[in-house]
Amino acid sequence: MHRFRSQLTIAFVAGILGLLVVVQLRSQAGPSALAQLSSQDLTVLVANVNARNDQLRREASSLERDLQTLVQNRSRGGASVGEVEEDLNRVRAYAGLEPVGGPGVKIAIRGPIDGHGVEELINELRNAGSEAIGVDGIRVVSGVVVVGPAGFAEVDGVALGDSFDLDAIGAPDKLTGSLTRAGGVIAQLAATLPLVTVTVTPVDRLELPATNRSLVPEHGSPRL
Amino acid sequence: MRITDRLRAIPSWQITLGVALLALGFLTAAQLASEGPRVRYTTQERTPLVDTVNTLQAQQDDLKARILDVRAQIQDIETEGASSEDRVKQLNAQLQAARIAAGLIPLTGSGIVIQLEDSKDPVPPDGGEVDYLVGSHDIRTIVEALWGAGAEAVAVNGERLTPTSAIIDVGASLLVNSAYLTPPYQITALGASDLYEQLSRSAKFVDFVRERGDGYGIRVSLAEPESVDMPAFVGTVTLRYSRPIVSPSPGPFTSPDAGG
Repeated sequence: MHRFRSQLTIAFVAGILGLLVVVQLRSQAGPSALAQLSSQDLTVLVANVNARNDQLRREASSLERDLQTLVQNRSRGGASVGEVEEDLNRVRAYAGLEPVGGPGVKIAIRGPIDGHGVEELINELRNAGSEAIGVDGIRVVSGVVVVGPAGFAEVDGVALGDSFDLDAIGAPDKLTGSLTRAGGVIAQLAATLPLVTVTVTPVDRLELPATNRSLVPEHGSPRL
Repeated sequence: MRITDRLRAIPSWQITLGVALLALGFLTAAQLASEGPRVRYTTQERTPLVDTVNTLQAQQDDLKARILDVRAQIQDIETEGASSEDRVKQLNAQLQAARIAAGLIPLTGSGIVIQLEDSKDPVPPDGGEVDYLVGSHDIRTIVEALWGAGAEAVAVNGERLTPTSAIIDVGASLLVNSAYLTPPYQITALGASDLYEQLSRSAKFVDFVRERGDGYGIRVSLAEPESVDMPAFVGTVTLRYSRPIVSPSPGPFTSPDAGG
């Protein structure tokens, strides 16, 4: 009887031990960064990943159409000038190598803002789907950053001063809503930089110049 | 007789039980210790959401692979046609340069990798937990410092940064190009061989290491491999609201040597 009880105890402890080993291993191996997010964060994540997937799906279909046209044309003797030109303009506009025009928002910045504050606005514009951005007439492309302490912000070595505009092309209502929402980037700036005022105006059309940077890396070559 | 029986009885099961209990205690402690500041939510209703995220991410991976594949096929055909016509040949060279400029081509070259990891320091009772985790603000600071130091291309955990890339927080993780990223964060930068030297001279980077590294224990490490691989941006480059204001085309009769 005594022996049976002791075996029962060992069996019980061994059972719990096994369970814990499994839980421990699973918690270390699992893809569980997700398990650290709240339901609200997960909802934001689902919305974002979903939106990106829709974009990717559109891009994939558009590329597949291009490919089909190319294959058809090849059978007739090479890609046509028109197709390649169209593709070229599209890619150059995206990269910032062509001037672009479209609807968007004009953001008037008045007061001694710092480079970081301008970058926060730019990041929020990108998050809201902005397609092209200009700071005081300089196109923001890869590598362009706004730097400097409050009142001495500069972009590409050009001082911005206390009064300049940030222009962004995209859906005007979406860009405006995203910037001006309660607790959003403008509200945060108002708290940290009380001397700065930021005014967002939706516009039907604005134009942004091309960058004067070449954007082709000197220290990298295409990887096959 | 009874006493000897008892003495034998102790090793036979009590020791086994003792060892098992010791292991149990150890595992319980390990389990508790592994529940760091990032693990807080384990409620049941979140499971469908987690499943949805996993499904969507798997779809995203498939779509990215499909896009890369079709892009490669398009490029092949376009280059193939290049020999047939001078104008097309010239345009194709321009297109390749534009694709490189837009971040659509994977690159390899000199550069550095900076890794940011959450702090292991204990959070003081009056401190904010979030200050001890790597956030979007930290990544943006490093990225800005890298651009300022002359980096020519930057990627975060395999997501290439382009003119439309936002870096935002989602809980204690990140979204870059709307892709979900978790720590550790590796920021890869392509640039001149003195990129790190330039970076370490930047006030932004020095302040970051002092404030976030020394101040909160955010772990910053650096690698300078012989070469770094820069992934291509996989996403749409089709603009929905912007139209290029294109200067008049040089036309089909321009010498193929012009432009480039």
